[in-house]
Amino acid sequence: MQPLQKIYRLLLIIIISGLAWNILPFLASIIAMLIFSFLFTTIFLPSVDRLEKFLKSRILSVLLILSSSSLLSISFLGLFFSNVSSQIKLFTKRIDNDDFVMNLSGLSNKIREYLPDFISKLIPEGDNLIMMAKNTLITIFQNILSILGSAGGFIFISLIVLIFTIILLIEYHDFKRTLVRFIPNKYLEVGLRVIYNIEQQISKYLRGQILAASSVALLSIIGLFILNQLSANITLIVFIGIIAGLANLIPMVGPFFGMIPAILISLMNNIGNETALLHQLFGIIPSPFYIFDIILMFVIVQQIDNNFITPVVVGESVGLHPMAVMIVLLIGGTLIGPIGMLFAIPAAGVLKVVIGEVIFISKNSHLL
Amino acid sequence: MKALYKNYFRKEEEYNPVLKALQNVPIFNNLSKKELTEVKKLTHERMYKTEESIFKKMAPSEGMYVIVTGNVNILDPDTGTSFTSLRDNDFFGELALLDEEPRSASAIAKSPSKLIGFFRTDLLTLMKRYPELGNKILLNLSRILGERLRKTNEELLINPNK
Repeated sequence: MQPLQKIYRLLLIIIISGLAWNILPFLASIIAMLIFSFLFTTIFLPSVDRLEKFLKSRILSVLLILSSSSLLSISFLGLFFSNVSSQIKLFTKRIDNDDFVMNLSGLSNKIREYLPDFISKLIPEGDNLIMMAKNTLITIFQNILSILGSAGGFIFISLIVLIFTIILLIEYHDFKRTLVRFIPNKYLEVGLRVIYNIEQQISKYLRGQILAASSVALLSIIGLFILNQLSANITLIVFIGIIAGLANLIPMVGPFFGMIPAILISLMNNIGNETALLHQLFGIIPSPFYIFDIILMFVIVQQIDNNFITPVVVGESVGLHPMAVMIVLLIGGTLIGPIGMLFAIPAAGVLKVVIGEVIFISKNSHLL
Repeated sequence: MKALYKNYFRKEEEYNPVLKALQNVPIFNNLSKKELTEVKKLTHERMYKTEESIFKKMAPSEGMYVIVTGNVNILDPDTGTSFTSLRDNDFFGELALLDEEPRSASAIAKSPSKLIGFFRTDLLTLMKRYPELGNKILLNLSRILGERLRKTNEELLINPNK
């Protein structure tokens, strides 16, 4: 290649990358919707294929599976919101009570007692703590209101994703054949292999993740149930377990988000309860409102998941080095936020397959 | 009246050259028309120009081809030996459905040819979606391999130095 040609090519690449970078924000939501639809398609495809064999109609199978799944999700969300709102209502009633102010001051003083001087100075005193708690609650309510405000947008996006998923599920095998038609004869066999490997990688990863998330959810529910037997008084354990399972889909940071709802609900339910305030983990470690019990329970669940469940159900499906996982998560998080973190690992898995195939093709290029 | 019936009520599959070509492949023996249509849905129709390479010797192999129309030469590019010349409804490369060994010869289109590709990934998909159909194809494949093995043994018995 001529040096001038190289410069032109480089300039072209820079211009195209610049344009893509500027257009990306406008296309990001559409791309995200397509990615979601594709992921849902991959999740539901095996069940649709199986049901089609019995019903002899693909459209009917797709509609049946998607409508039952949507119904389940909607009833879950409905139940979740009604339960959370009643929990918040109950808590707001208690927050107006004077006992609550006393309890919060007591908690602040209690914590200060346990900690060394230089740290205890950082903990605000009773009155400041109440102000902080009230401000935090106001912020939480405002956030909930803004989420409800954007519910219209969420419903619209969900509908578009649902429509995309229906079309993709009905036409999946034809879409694939159409895609293959664009592959030049020379690369036909290699192209088919790349598509198949990518499909396998994604479906294996997703199925593994769903299984791992379900087991984390189940283990968390069992753990919380056991804590309740020790009078931890944690309500909504099924929802907390499901949230922990879903949070677990984000590697590394997810498990920490998973324990937050449990701690918050334990705080909400137990404030004012002297026994809960003075509770000690194993009778030695002070664990006001069962906070450390909850953390320990989630750590145990994580250990069971990391050492027994994930290696069996997920295995080496993506096979990325932990360092690579962290970098990929950071990139995903910086680019699109939490959703980027969720998709970062399967995307890296796809990229790994593609790079592997590109290396394979370049090594065997003389044979194509 | 008969012509009218044929034009308006004939089934598309009856006159489909791709289905006809697939019917002639021993791997798809004993398959009902419905099953054959399922196989057809997974196959890939490709057009090759004269002298266009279909695959090269030692290239990674993925599956088999059935010739719908045209001519294909199977040859060894190193020695220039032409093993066979194949035409309409012939097939080649079926062993690649089972193993991932590199191609043992090259295949080149000798005239504009329409081929159907049926690949290992398609067979795996078929086995997942229609296990019974996948088993029938696998059984046929094993039968073909058994016949070839028997033939090779017989040839070796007749001429051990071959």
